[in-house]
Amino acid sequence: MTSTAADIATDRRTSPAVIRQNKDRRRALLLLSPGVIWMTLFLLLPLCMVVYVSFWTQTTFAVEPTLTTASWQQFLSSPTYLSAIWTTVRIWAIVLTATLVVGYPVALYIGLFVQNKTLQTALLVACVIPFWTSFLIRVIAWRPMLGTEGAINTILLKVGLIHEPLTFLLFSEFSVLVGMTQIYCVFMVGPITFMIGRIDPSVIEAARDLGASFGTIFRRIVLPLSLPGVIVGAIFVSVMVLGEFATAASLSGRKVNLLGNIIVSQVGSLKWAFAAVAGVVLTIIITAVITLALRVVDLRKEM
Amino acid sequence: MNAGPLRPALAIYTALFLLFLYGPMIVLAILSFQSQSGGPQFPIQDWSVYWYEHLLGLAETSRVSQLPVGDSLLRSLTLAFMTTVVSVTLGTMSAEAFRTRFKGSGPVFYLVILGMMVPGVLVGLGMALLANVLGIDRAWWSTAFVLHVVYTYPFAFLVMLAIFNRFDRSIEEASMSLGVSRGQTFRRVTFPILFPGVLSAALFSFTLSYDEFARTLFTAGRDLTLPLAIYGTFSVEIYPNIFAFGVLTTLFSFTLLVIYGLLMKRFTGAKTSTYKGQEDAA
Repeated sequence: MTSTAADIATDRRTSPAVIRQNKDRRRALLLLSPGVIWMTLFLLLPLCMVVYVSFWTQTTFAVEPTLTTASWQQFLSSPTYLSAIWTTVRIWAIVLTATLVVGYPVALYIGLFVQNKTLQTALLVACVIPFWTSFLIRVIAWRPMLGTEGAINTILLKVGLIHEPLTFLLFSEFSVLVGMTQIYCVFMVGPITFMIGRIDPSVIEAARDLGASFGTIFRRIVLPLSLPGVIVGAIFVSVMVLGEFATAASLSGRKVNLLGNIIVSQVGSLKWAFAAVAGVVLTIIITAVITLALRVVDLRKEM
Repeated sequence: MNAGPLRPALAIYTALFLLFLYGPMIVLAILSFQSQSGGPQFPIQDWSVYWYEHLLGLAETSRVSQLPVGDSLLRSLTLAFMTTVVSVTLGTMSAEAFRTRFKGSGPVFYLVILGMMVPGVLVGLGMALLANVLGIDRAWWSTAFVLHVVYTYPFAFLVMLAIFNRFDRSIEEASMSLGVSRGQTFRRVTFPILFPGVLSAALFSFTLSYDEFARTLFTAGRDLTLPLAIYGTFSVEIYPNIFAFGVLTTLFSFTLLVIYGLLMKRFTGAKTSTYKGQEDAA
């Protein structure tokens, strides 16, 4: 019995197909190793470092590798840091909702109502073109738009809708929300349009022949089939908004402090351990959000 | 799809959406032609190209400090080029490896994808900490460079994966069994099929790295890249020179995009004609 098994094993090892398979596998591993090594050294190791340093001892200008939970205690008992966590989660939730609400109708129009392929491509390209301007310039562009002497106030004053310039437009949470929504909504529009565009027209045709109204078609066909696109968009937007600090720094006038801003300012004052704690908290939040998103839709199945 | 008044309503909505998308850039472009005495807001005192001259160092120095455009631009372009070469190479190698089934492909896939998922400020912090502990000097061409690749390699990998998924090896084998040399098969068959993918991956890597600053902020050390120079203006007052700069970089990016479009058109155009020829032959 055992000898037969061994014979089969030797046969397997020596058969040309298996040899070729093994050769292919070795070649694949060889091709993969540079990328895997790169990611391990420059992605995983730095992330582990963040967790490790969050337990270091922070003195005024330096950190020492003596393990302690002091930074964590200080972080979790400080109203400033706790409110930064709350602000980050709140801004994330609002921007995510806003990009979905603003972007979905656009995706619906481009994906479902525009039948001309050229026009469809042209509209999508029009949505993507702003991305060839530097992200930071796009953030700054909101300042002359929203300021007290900005474009919106100027127009509203000229038209006579208001008599005093609106002051809440810039250097407020509002400006951060508007800026982020504009900058990130395309990441929502793209995947949703893609998913809606993939819906087989004959399915909708059949539904209509069977007497379904547009509302029913939307609710029973278009919406469920576009859901993977919504999730992909949500993951994109979430990851970017949760790691944000530049938009808040430029448009809120230091009124809005996200976890990203905490990290930047703590690194600026060489408080590495606090920055690391904020980093770990951010990682936990992002992991939770992505895990939640992947619970709703199995992405590998949809690809 | 016919749904009564919904269609025109959505069309108008999409037009408004595009206005929302472009509005700030249009305002910024208009204000870049503000005169020397005018500020970064309306009204335009006088139309002029003063801030463009200021940006390029042609105007006399004023109270507004100049953006370090020249040096930082050179650094950013060099960094983006290095990043592109490495990430397209890594991406192509990994995608090629994924054509063979092997154990552990799932974890490897997610390890690579993680690079585009982790916020820049986090990896940047981690890399800065690591450099501190190991006593390595942080510089744009070392610590910042490796993080740029961490960010762009997943994009290059995904693009090349999509290309390889459509790539039929039998075409290559057919060519060689018909007696075409290996070199010529690569030049005439493999390369034209892969080229649009390589070009897209390169464009992705280049633009992402050229504009990247969250990963660069803690890792670039003393010498600034272009986005860091812009970020420097965030905490101080904003002047129209940054607007002029925005217009110029946008024009630069467009030039890049047009070149990409032309190359793409040439190659995909050539490809369709070959396929047509194949159909005729069949």
